[in-house]
Amino acid sequence: MRFLRRLLVRLSNSATRRRHDQRLQEEIEEHLALQTADNLRAGLSPVEARRQAMLKFGAMEAIKEDYRAERRLLFIDTFAQDIRFALRMLRKSPSFTAVAVLTLALGIGANTAIFSMVDWLTLRLPPIAKAERVTTLASQEISGGYSNAFSYPEFADIRNQSSALFSQVAGSTDFHMDGLSADGKSESMWASYVTGNFFETIGLKPALGSLIELRPGSSIDYEPVLVLSYSFWEAHFGRDARVIGKSVLVNGHPVTIIGVAPKDFHGIISLLDTQGYLPLGMAPVTADASKDFLTNRKSTGLTIIARLKPGVTLGSAQPALNVIAHRLCADYPSTDKWRSLVAYALGPMSPVSDPDNPNILRLVSALFLILAGLVLILACLNVANLLLARASGRLREMAVRAAVGAGRSRLIRQLLTESLLLALIGCAAGIGLGLMSSHWLGSINLKTAIPFVLDFHFDWRVFAYAFSLALLTAVFVGITPALRATRVNSTDLLHESGRTAAAGRQRTRGILVVAQVGGSLMLLIVAGLFVRSLQNVQHSDLGFDPSHLLNFTIDAHGAGDNEVQARGLLKNVLPRVRALPGVETASLATTVPMGYTNLGMELKIEGYQPPPGQSASWAGYNAVSPEYFETLRIPILRGRAILESDGQTSPHIAVINEAMAQKYWHGENPVGRAFANVDADTEKSIEVVGVVKNSRTGDDFSSPIEPYMYVPLAQHYDYQMPVTLQIRTSLPLATMNREVLGVAHGLAPTMPVFDVQTMTEALDTLNGLMLFQVGAGLAAALGLLGLALAIVGVYGVVSYGASQRTHEIGIRMALGAQRVQVLKMILGQGLFIVSGGIVLGVFAAAGTARLVGRFLVGLSPLDAITYFGAVFILAAVALVACYIPARRAMRLDPVVALRQE
Amino acid sequence: MKQKPDVRQGTLALMVLKTLDVLGPLRGYRIARRIEQISGDVLAVNQGTLYPVLLRLEQESAIASDWGASKNNRMARFYRLKRYGRKQLQTETRDWEQSAAIIGRFFAPKVEDLS
Repeated sequence: MRFLRRLLVRLSNSATRRRHDQRLQEEIEEHLALQTADNLRAGLSPVEARRQAMLKFGAMEAIKEDYRAERRLLFIDTFAQDIRFALRMLRKSPSFTAVAVLTLALGIGANTAIFSMVDWLTLRLPPIAKAERVTTLASQEISGGYSNAFSYPEFADIRNQSSALFSQVAGSTDFHMDGLSADGKSESMWASYVTGNFFETIGLKPALGSLIELRPGSSIDYEPVLVLSYSFWEAHFGRDARVIGKSVLVNGHPVTIIGVAPKDFHGIISLLDTQGYLPLGMAPVTADASKDFLTNRKSTGLTIIARLKPGVTLGSAQPALNVIAHRLCADYPSTDKWRSLVAYALGPMSPVSDPDNPNILRLVSALFLILAGLVLILACLNVANLLLARASGRLREMAVRAAVGAGRSRLIRQLLTESLLLALIGCAAGIGLGLMSSHWLGSINLKTAIPFVLDFHFDWRVFAYAFSLALLTAVFVGITPALRATRVNSTDLLHESGRTAAAGRQRTRGILVVAQVGGSLMLLIVAGLFVRSLQNVQHSDLGFDPSHLLNFTIDAHGAGDNEVQARGLLKNVLPRVRALPGVETASLATTVPMGYTNLGMELKIEGYQPPPGQSASWAGYNAVSPEYFETLRIPILRGRAILESDGQTSPHIAVINEAMAQKYWHGENPVGRAFANVDADTEKSIEVVGVVKNSRTGDDFSSPIEPYMYVPLAQHYDYQMPVTLQIRTSLPLATMNREVLGVAHGLAPTMPVFDVQTMTEALDTLNGLMLFQVGAGLAAALGLLGLALAIVGVYGVVSYGASQRTHEIGIRMALGAQRVQVLKMILGQGLFIVSGGIVLGVFAAAGTARLVGRFLVGLSPLDAITYFGAVFILAAVALVACYIPARRAMRLDPVVALRQE
Repeated sequence: MKQKPDVRQGTLALMVLKTLDVLGPLRGYRIARRIEQISGDVLAVNQGTLYPVLLRLEQESAIASDWGASKNNRMARFYRLKRYGRKQLQTETRDWEQSAAIIGRFFAPKVEDLS
């Protein structure tokens, strides 16, 4: 009660400061006058009477301070005072402020930009209601792996048996490429086919119109309706609200657009933007899914999304899921070979197919956060150094403040307020820089028609991160200078010049710079490793020749063609393209090396038994047309290539790579041997007719090449998948593009043609070189930033040290020291710092070897060349930074130097 | 220099209340003199420290201050005890006497207390 009353009075007093100061002043005057009068009466002289009265009254300023403290909320008051003072101090030395703010802005900006990527990659949940309650399911196979692709009957069984766990269970087949024709134009659209309760399960509200809903009494929806994603609606319909009710063609079949999904919802597949949603029942109509997919347990491809019932957690759901898995496994032993079912939270990176596998993106995130953090530390060290240097200049100021009664904690608070202000201004500028760079990162051209979402917008998490960095920075940067500056004995200092007191400070600064050089060397080494790794990848032998090779992906199915029409179209494309001027060779293929699609099949091979404990025989494959090996320049080692005569009805054949020959036929001649595709409906025998040299096909540049084979496109044609036309020509892409589009649209006017690029460009995609390039680019940027900061630090300390020793140098030279000796003396100090930093940096870099090594191709994380190179660069630049102030010291005129002070 | 006992703020406040209770409305200077006289040189605190205490008591509504004319017709601030202050003085006096008695008994035990 008493406390509360005081608080209220004080709050109101905070507003009316002046009046109260005046009151105290009056009372003091009154008090002193009365005391003086009493003293006079006691017989003292007027001057002495006044003096005694003052002495008796006590420390005037401290009492005033107490009085104010009593009256108001002191901390608000002093804080406002500190801020005002700090602002004045910063304004007084604009160049110091600019350098410090810029340094911190670079550090905080780099961190903010990196964190916005990490946020997007690993932290941000899809914008759906109570996203943490939504889970996705995976089956753990008896063979050990995880799969998140279920068949419809499996989905239905799981849904029916899990009603105690989940309030809703929905399914979707994701990322099916459809052609959407509206207003006479055809676009490719990546669509999901979803069960009727899909949107209800994730709790989504439409931005426009309505979403797909479950009809009463049916479990699956056959309505010919379409829901567009916001971005697709924006890009292709210009956000026209009249699209609702519009009739469009999906793969040639009429459907009605009924709604638009909300803006930030990109579907449940992370990183990818699902552009349209159709009812699952429409899959057999528009997407030509097999008619029996509702009943066939083998026809997998459904992702299961489930919302936990209130009170159920992932952990408490697990035993019941195990029971369901065992029951289904017992009922359907041939298809549901499950050990268990696993539910895991819908994260930013889900659905992932293997919950046990450490997420590589998390590792990348961790690595780059560490590197960016290091840059910030370097920036902080620089600013701390600047503040230390300033602190030496302000020793007198501190001493005077202490003498008039400021406590040490009050002084420290004042200095920390200054660094806090610096950090906050730096933080604001850093957020600006971060926004700019993440905007730039977000606009990276991924060189693919696949709609990736690069959404590095700054949400509250990014701002919170930047702000907490700023607070940390303020303390980190300010605490040492503040402690140092206030530790001095004021009386000593006021009598001295302050030079001796500054000596100890110089040592602290030296240690800070050693740490800085070390950190910067570590950054340089890591950046060097990444750059060399990129070089290795770029110059690695791919096994085919990517130069003068152009890719055009065409989608006959997207134009509305059925299988017969699509086959006819492909038959006609090649002869016409080959007849174009400048075309050396041309071929068709289902997948492109380092592309986003990889095909594979499980094999049954005569005379080959997989070793116990290993998974079944398996090979990746590509369905290609004749002339493929000539076009890609993959040499044939044995047997023959794929020919025109290998048609749809002729015996099935395959051309295999060396790795496959080695693994399954142990180096014997495989030509003439046969195997079968386990997954095919008819286990038709496939004969090996040739062996080609190994070449890279998947997204891995470093591991040994896996078994791979090429089969005739005619025999393995999935007409729903687009095919890529590859042309070897010395003509530029632009010229060729016109010609190819002419041919394609001459055959089918609405056929989508996309991913038009040279093979070299195609290698730069996310699955190919892009991650290496982005990684190396980011690491190099951080490395250079770190180097610049370290050099500023070295230069600052050495030149400051030299200027502090001007007097000493003058004496030495007056006593006969040679100029070279002075040079050596100053350089020596710099060398000591730099060599200390190099030792530290090498050890620090070696400490990160395990983490960094995971991302390197073709070189060890302790690569000697990189280490020596980085040390050399750093040492060279640092020496220049030391030499400049050393030379300045050497040229000092002793007479001038001695007169200084 | 002789070390003087440190006067706890609470004690000083109690002295102020008692002074006003006994002598009626007073100026700050007179309160300081009174405390000095009663306690002797032992409690000759820095007189200025009295003013923050006066302010605190005023903010607690234990005392009030008025701007009025003094005997020699100079305007000055007079402090007077309020009802809440008187009540506070009573409780604190009682508390003080109790603890003083206890401490006193500890330092000068009588025979009957020990038996």
